[in-house]
Formats: sequence, C-alpha cells, structure tokens
Amino acid sequence: MLKRPLSLTCVVLLCLLAASASGVSAQKSTATPDPDPTMTTSYQQVVVYAGPGTTYQQNNLLNPGIPAQIIERNAVGTWLHLQRIADGKLVMDGWVLARFLNLNPALKFSVVPVNTDLADADPSTVDSQSLQKLYAAPVLPTISDAMRDVFQRGQELGNNPRAITKFGDSLVANELYLLPMSQSDVDLGPYDYLADTVKYFGASARESMAARVGLTTYVIFDPFWANKEFCQPGESPLDCELRRQKPSVAFIMFGPNDLKAMDTEQYGTNMRKIVSTLIEKGVIPILFMFSYDPIRPLWWQSVDFNQQLIDIGAEYDVPVVNLWEATRVLPEYGLEVDHLHLKNAGVLNLKFSKDKVGESGVMLYNLLSVCVLDDIRRTVIQSE
Amino acid sequence: MRKRVLFFFCLFLLAACGGGSSAGDPAETVEKYLTAKVSGDGDTVRALLCSAMEADKDREASAFSSVTGAKIEDMDCRRDGDTDFVICAGKIVADYGTEITEFPLSSYKVVQEDGDWKWCGESAAP
Repeated sequence: MLKRPLSLTCVVLLCLLAASASGVSAQKSTATPDPDPTMTTSYQQVVVYAGPGTTYQQNNLLNPGIPAQIIERNAVGTWLHLQRIADGKLVMDGWVLARFLNLNPALKFSVVPVNTDLADADPSTVDSQSLQKLYAAPVLPTISDAMRDVFQRGQELGNNPRAITKFGDSLVANELYLLPMSQSDVDLGPYDYLADTVKYFGASARESMAARVGLTTYVIFDPFWANKEFCQPGESPLDCELRRQKPSVAFIMFGPNDLKAMDTEQYGTNMRKIVSTLIEKGVIPILFMFSYDPIRPLWWQSVDFNQQLIDIGAEYDVPVVNLWEATRVLPEYGLEVDHLHLKNAGVLNLKFSKDKVGESGVMLYNLLSVCVLDDIRRTVIQSE
Repeated sequence: MRKRVLFFFCLFLLAACGGGSSAGDPAETVEKYLTAKVSGDGDTVRALLCSAMEADKDREASAFSSVTGAKIEDMDCRRDGDTDFVICAGKIVADYGTEITEFPLSSYKVVQEDGDWKWCGESAAP
C-alpha cells in the first residue's frame, strides 16, 4: 500500500526537476546573444553587381551558404550591399538582390544605412537610348517643395490629410493594391520604419470610383464611366472620387489599356489634364511608370508612354515612381501569365517579405506606394 | 390678296410642321449615339454630338476603343415627356478578355441644333 504514494512522490519530484531544468535551459537560451541580423547567406548561387541594379557591372558570385555582411541597402530595400571578409581580407564586395538571400527575421531596415550615392541603374550600359532614359529615372522620387504648396492648397479646400486614392485601370482597381493597408494583419517584414505611415493612411484605403476595369486617361473624365450607385449624374469618375474621398494623395497608373486606345501624344495630353486637375484641387499626384513585357505588341509605344510620364513629372514637379525599372528584375517583369496584369502575391494581406516583394508585381507596387507615402508624410504632412 | 396671304400662311405652317418632324425622335438620336460610341464609330459620334461638347469629341469616340467585345444589351430609350431628356434602359457590356464590366444606361440631355436632335451628355432628368 505504501508503494503507490512513494512512486507518486517520485513522479512529482521528477516533474519538478524536469521543470526546473527546462527553466534553466530557457534562461540559457535567452541569455545567448542573437546572431548578428546583418549577417546573411544566399540560398543559391547569385550574381554580385557593382551597384543596386542589373545594369551595373557583374563583379562576383556569391555561393550558397557563404556568410556575408549587409553593409547598406538601396532606398526600396530590394538590393543589399554585401561584403565578405576572409582571413582579414575583403574577398567580396557588391550588391545582391535581397530575394535570393536568407534574411534574419530580426533584420530591420530602419537600422540598415541607405546608399544615396549610387543610382538605381547604370544607364550607360544599356544600348537603346529610349531605354536609357527609363533606366535613368530613379525608382523612388524625391518629393519636391512644390508638393508642399499643393498639399497646403488641398487643406484650405478641405481635403483630408490622411486620405489617399488611386486612379487607373484593372491593374490599379485590383483589391489587393493599397486596400490591404486598412487591414489589421499587415506584415511589414524588415520594413519596420513604414509602420507609422501604414497606420496614418491605412484607414482611408478603400475602393476608388476612378479605378476600374478598362478605364483609360480619356474616360476618367467621362461621366458614362462613373459608378451610378455612388456618383452624381453628369459627374466623371475623377470628380466623383475627389468629392467622396477628399484625398491629399492620388496614385495614378495608366498605360496598358491606353496603348490600345490612343497615341503617345494623346496619352501625354490626357495625363497632363489629370495632373493639372489634381494640382488645382490640392491633391498630390503620384505617377507610376508601368511594367510591360518586351515580347508583347506595342512594346516601343509603351516605352514612349513611360517616357512621357518622366517628362510630365519634370514639367509639373510631381513625383514619378519607376515601377517599370523596379519590375525588370522580377520574374516575368512582375506580371501574370497574361503578360498584362501585375502578379498577385498569393496572400490577401500586405506582406513585405523579401519573397513577396521580390516576386510579385502587386506586392512591389504596394511597397513602392507605401515608401512614397512615407516620404510624403515625413517631408510634407508632418512639416506642416 | 386675301387668298395670297392665306396661301403663304399655309406654306409657313407646312414648313413649320415639316421642320419639326425633320428633327425626329430624340430617343432615336440617343440610341444611334450610344451605338456609335460603343462601336467606336467616330464619324457618327461627331455628327450627333452637341456643340457644347465639341471639346470632348475625341474622348467620346474613343471611349471603348480599348475593348474588343463591347455591346449594348436591351436598350430602350424614350423621351421624358416634352423635356429635353431621354431616359434609357439597358446596359453596355464590355468584355476585357478575363474581365467583364457593365455600364447601365441612364438619362441623357438632348438639344436641337440646326433642326436636328443632338446628344449632349449624361444628366438627370428633371
């Protein structure tokens, strides 16, 4: 009869011992310093470039599993500058696409210096003069002082400083573009510094009356194309959206549909009309150059259209985001199998992991948009 | 003399009635206009567009030029009493390959210019 209580006591004692032992081991594991989050390896052999772009000279290869240190990043964070030192000597120094690297989950881009000396591309290595111009435009623009005036005018007209909107065709109307900013399951990955911006503008991200399938720079002014459920008779999609949303910032991307509907001159005329209308209404217009696959018809016309956007940006001093260049390094230029729409990331939330940003046109589009918004919030809105 | 006056008066009445009927039914103009707009028939669009919308003629003619399969379904337009408005039922269906988008028809303003009815944009009937 005594054996059972004894054995029970032994079991309890053993459990206590085990628990205390695991507690010690847990303490030990937390006491162990984390590996340096700026150390990384690649998971396949990758080309090392002299700068943050494939137009730069290739100067090395990085083999899988070989550790290297992250020194700095490009502004978007899609390219990382790595160095590897062996036996006290610098044996590798160059830029690698982040999507090929095993990044430490603890890595935060807020503590990785941004390289501001190197451009996003080296256009001198590109044969075509037309393409040189596209490569020469930075992926992320600098926000000009003129946009402060536009924002200020918008405030006087009653625009909402926290409201954003989007204008464009089906690529823009995609519910996975910008709208996930309003969700609670945003996963910024290493882009920790964007959290305040997503929080600031997120709630305003909703369906736009000026983004729908088939919309072109022509018909954004045509009341025929306005959503009759929400827009007033005779109101164009553009006017309807401005009335309903009262935005301070508008993301604009037209191109793939317009290519079939008009020539370059007309495209430029229409885009200028959109930009000047928004400036007059105190809305900061952000123009996006669009991705296009060189195998598709109208390739050179698409190049001309994108050149127009660069010209219009310079003419009105408005930001132009070079999504075209940023997507050159994505599989299939970030496009779906139809070679037209941007490729979805396979998730319904905003997820800025290096895999999603490095392979999905839609996620990269989202990232670039939030990056520009971040700049606008810091330099225009918060300085007011 | 009185007969001559009566003759000219009758002539005037005939001309007036004839002029009115030459303008035709504004609902017919709207249906023709919408059909031309959807099919990208620029000449008809320009011919039926009112002068106030002259600046928009290229936009109107190109509205569906990026679509390969746009068509009007169940169009039925009627003049709203004696007003300068035509109310249409039906819809335009535009097929973008994998995406289909619909545009419900609504009410449109018409004006008479040089004796003909012209389409003058979308507007709520009074």
